[in-house]
Amino acid sequence: MTGRKIGAVMVVGGGIGGVQSALDLAEAGYKVYLVESSPSIGGRMAQLDKTFPTNDCSMCILSPKLVECGRHPDIELLTYSELLGLEGEPGNFRAKVLKHARYVREDICTGCGTCQQKCPRRTASEFDGELGERKAIYVPYPQAIPNVPVIDKQICTYFLKGKCRVCEKVCPAGAIDFEQEDEELEIEVGAVILALGYETFDARLRGEYGYGRYKNVVTSLEFERILSASGPYRGEILRPSDNEHPRRIAWIQCTGSRDTSLGRGYCSSVCCMYAIKEAIIAQEHDPNLELTIFYNDIRAFGKGFEGYYESAKKAGIRFVKSIVSDVKELPRTKDLFIRYVEDGEVKEENFELVVLSVGLEPSEQTKLLAKKLGVELEPCGGFCSTPFFNPLSTTREGVYVCGVFQGPKDIPETVMQASAASAVASATISAERGTMLQQRQYLPEKQIKGEKPKIGVFVCHCGINIAAVVDVEAVRDYARTLPHVVWAEDNLFTCAQDTQERIKKVIQEEGLNRVVVAACSPRTHEPLFRQTLMEVGLNPYLFEMANIRDQCSWVHMKDKEGATQKAKDLVRMAVANAALLEPLERERLPVRKRALVVGGGLAGMTAALGFAEQGFEVFLVEREAELGGNMRHIYWTLSGEDPQAFLEEMIERVTTHPAIQVITNAEVVDHEGVQGNFSTGVMIAPTMTYRKLEHGVTVLATGGEEYKPKEYLYGEHPAVLTQMELEERIARGELDLGELRRVVMIQCVGSRTEQRPYCSRICCSVAVKNALKLKELAPDLEIHVLFRDIRTYGLLEQYYTKARERGVIFTRYIPERPPEVEAEGNRLLVKVWENTLKDDLILEADLVVLSTATLPRENEELAAMFKVQRTLEGFYLEAHMKLRPVDFSSDGIYMCGLAHSPKLMDETISQAQAAVARASTLLAKDEIEVGGVVARVEPELCAACLICVRACPYGVPYICEDGYSVIDPAKCRGCGNCAAECPQKAIQLQHYRDEQLVAKVLALTRGI
Amino acid sequence: MIVAQAKPIEEILEMIDKYDKILLVGCKGCVAVCAAGGEKEVQFLASAIRTARKTQGREIEIREVTLERQCDPEYVEQIRGFAGDYQAILSIACGVGVQFMAEHYREIPALPGLNTSFMGGALEQGVWSERCQGCGNCVLHLTGGICPITRCSKSLLNGPCGGSSNGKCEVDPEVDCGWQLIIERLKALGEFESRFMEIVPIKDWSTSRDGGPRKIVREDMRQ
Repeated sequence: MTGRKIGAVMVVGGGIGGVQSALDLAEAGYKVYLVESSPSIGGRMAQLDKTFPTNDCSMCILSPKLVECGRHPDIELLTYSELLGLEGEPGNFRAKVLKHARYVREDICTGCGTCQQKCPRRTASEFDGELGERKAIYVPYPQAIPNVPVIDKQICTYFLKGKCRVCEKVCPAGAIDFEQEDEELEIEVGAVILALGYETFDARLRGEYGYGRYKNVVTSLEFERILSASGPYRGEILRPSDNEHPRRIAWIQCTGSRDTSLGRGYCSSVCCMYAIKEAIIAQEHDPNLELTIFYNDIRAFGKGFEGYYESAKKAGIRFVKSIVSDVKELPRTKDLFIRYVEDGEVKEENFELVVLSVGLEPSEQTKLLAKKLGVELEPCGGFCSTPFFNPLSTTREGVYVCGVFQGPKDIPETVMQASAASAVASATISAERGTMLQQRQYLPEKQIKGEKPKIGVFVCHCGINIAAVVDVEAVRDYARTLPHVVWAEDNLFTCAQDTQERIKKVIQEEGLNRVVVAACSPRTHEPLFRQTLMEVGLNPYLFEMANIRDQCSWVHMKDKEGATQKAKDLVRMAVANAALLEPLERERLPVRKRALVVGGGLAGMTAALGFAEQGFEVFLVEREAELGGNMRHIYWTLSGEDPQAFLEEMIERVTTHPAIQVITNAEVVDHEGVQGNFSTGVMIAPTMTYRKLEHGVTVLATGGEEYKPKEYLYGEHPAVLTQMELEERIARGELDLGELRRVVMIQCVGSRTEQRPYCSRICCSVAVKNALKLKELAPDLEIHVLFRDIRTYGLLEQYYTKARERGVIFTRYIPERPPEVEAEGNRLLVKVWENTLKDDLILEADLVVLSTATLPRENEELAAMFKVQRTLEGFYLEAHMKLRPVDFSSDGIYMCGLAHSPKLMDETISQAQAAVARASTLLAKDEIEVGGVVARVEPELCAACLICVRACPYGVPYICEDGYSVIDPAKCRGCGNCAAECPQKAIQLQHYRDEQLVAKVLALTRGI
Repeated sequence: MIVAQAKPIEEILEMIDKYDKILLVGCKGCVAVCAAGGEKEVQFLASAIRTARKTQGREIEIREVTLERQCDPEYVEQIRGFAGDYQAILSIACGVGVQFMAEHYREIPALPGLNTSFMGGALEQGVWSERCQGCGNCVLHLTGGICPITRCSKSLLNGPCGGSSNGKCEVDPEVDCGWQLIIERLKALGEFESRFMEIVPIKDWSTSRDGGPRKIVREDMRQ
């Protein structure tokens, strides 16, 4: 690999994983080509209604990311395109991409939607699970990015019969192009990330459940669309056969998962949680619904999941532990008749709607692409093969993977892996960082202090979106009469590229110092216009929008006169506000291109190496004398790796890397500063030397520890051990296996209890791992595992199956009657209530092994020092459960490893790499811009009442020595909470000053 | 403001007699304004104690701190880092401050250096007078802006008692009769007829101390 390297990465797949990878890469200074086979990015997440366990609206949290992706200057979207092949070598690939003809020109189309309205051809909408309709020319869903339709050639009347072309006639932009042809592109990139996602299991393969034959049997993804307010039933829960409200709904879990007979011997990881979520949300829609979930094990293993499961049980959702044998439709009512076995008894029940919790699997196209690229797949399920200690690398060098294609997982884990993949992919080309970015030209900023406001107003027709309802010319003429307005015009599309040039020209010719655009939403378009202002030297905050589309023409279609009047009102308000706009200063602070990693376990070391490979210096601070943390006590993995050998090599790499400074025996004692400019003090034992570390970002990887139980005679009887102790003893040969006849493992010791209401996630697979190890060493040994639910999620399920095949006996206990352990001399008696037999089992055991909880290491003081939040259990709390799983809510600080929540080693590695990726987006910049829309305190007015200190969600304000509140513009997020709460009116949020808001309101009332 | 005055130095010395390391905490709020517990008083009191102890031949270590206020937990917590190094906290805030200290630092005795006197205002430099008893149900709009609860020694609501003579109170000839003041004020406002002749019904004292310790919960502000 001596050839030229290329500072660009191709991300294949535009779901949440691909989008996150693309954003992290672009922000870290690499050019990104985001290739998506469907017409728009967004993937599966766009189809979901809500997300577990926070019930956040899926689209609401996804959409901003899509918008960001769509307008990022360094991300090139190649939608409706597919990767055909890859030549060259790592660092310098040539990717062949086939760009399908959309028959709509992306550079001209403004997304006005007229063509979709007028197109006469309808078909079932794939996006809505075929429960709703779309046209032949269509955008899959309203928030789609890019908002450019495609023509479905298969059903388009023109393509089928040579006549129609209605879309072409109605398109105001002239964007329809029937002559367009598929295009083959060759693109040079340094690395490739496969974020190919999944499709859901084809439920017709489980014929006994009647999917495809019975209308009222739907898949879970279809049910998401049924729940969605933008779905086919507008958020009403109806069933497909008669569009009536069902009363009794059943979910059948593991449809197409954990099913070796169908070649799907893995657990799909997410179905338990999404079924619980769907039930909870359905109940929110209609509290009288009777909801039942038929399950095998409830796998609520992620952060916050167990509590969510408990809340569902409390809300009255019924959980039945049983595999449903079959579903029959009752011919007259179309209700569904379900037969199942519970506690040894055959039971029958009727439901009005049945939801199949379908599993996840790579699509056939994905498998085909993998083959073309020379990427090997797992025999189990066809997921992408990755080395255990390198979970983001495929078998082809330079090609990386993230998300469900690597194994079933939920959104936050996909996001983590996506960030992580961006880190490892870019590490190989980090020398080329910044070489392929767009450069923008700005004129020096014009000073407007003391000038009278000169406002220009641009009123948009938005094709016919606005103009069909609002009299745009009348609004334009009205704008001319408003105070300070020196220019007003109307545009067919104010957002079009040529209009930007026009706005710039008018600003310069007329000497405008404020600009108002009356068009659509600032959410999507404000950044574009601000950019335009900056290009001609106007401060970007001298801009204001009036939303006369979403909030006017779209909602008052039937009242044209009223809508025109309202548009005038909105413009009058915007102009009143614009007159008071002030240029806001943004200060530039240099970034210290150095990272601090606290904690020298697997997570911390992975992060340190990650930074070093990105070309950044690192301080790695460890409290103990040696690196390694918990990993020092792990001797084997389920898939057969040697963790100790890996650890030894890793410590060697960390300690010899020139960019990494390892500081052991060191305790963090103080911390201050803002993102990009932190300073942290450490005290180094045994001499207790104080050292100040200056760095731009911080990663907290302070780890976790195994719970030392008080239960089950632990510490009292020598034959009661924890799993980690068992592993240590086997590894050191301290266990006389010939002497052992029976070993009993007890799960959930200290987890899922009232005191510690979370699932520790890893204990089930650790128990399976150690049971298999014992079986390997002593095949005749009898091993019992007493469990509540076996949570061997994802591909780990294979090992659970293997353990049963090897004769490990798994016995379920119910939490109401937990096992009891009694000592009888050297021997132990384990008593457990078997709920199917309705009797106690009494097991004489030579060894009792407790699968105990994973606790966060003591981190309270550290958390206070870094001002970061923790959960009730003491794990670090991320900024957002779904989409910011490694970020703290304070900028510049990230987390990874067990300190975030219990997880396995490969997951820790991913998360640590993710932390590196997120932090690199900051370290890649030479300086950060702070200020702009931030809160500003007037010290003279401040009463030091502390209300702002208490109101700020980010802990920014503090009362200084002179007794007034100080808000650091580098830390302020501009949310305005403090400004709203301040009883003295001493705080104003810039750009939203009281004076402006009052002016807007007065302008409104003037017209009434 | 809350008006307080220093306890006699002898009383303070007795209070801290058994300690040789104390934290003296002042307050920049009301007691600073009434010159009883601000930064300056902290310095005065600290040197007074040191001198006294020196003459006794038992030196004492005093750390002096003045907080923004002692009635907000965030400020009280500012001494967390070193409070544990001292045997006692001598607070010269009002009674609220002393109690907040006691609540936050459970292991350390909190001692009062002031007598908290009343809610009032400054009449002139060095003179403060009581104006409000915090009865929880204000009637000032009925009484010409002069509080009958505070200014009348008996807190009468319907005019002066027989003990009012020449505008003074029978309790103390130095004290103005509150009702005399009210009547004069009502006359000046032209409200005497309408206000004074009206019988004020029995006051509900449950909003005052009679209802037990009081608490205000503002749901609109809670987080």
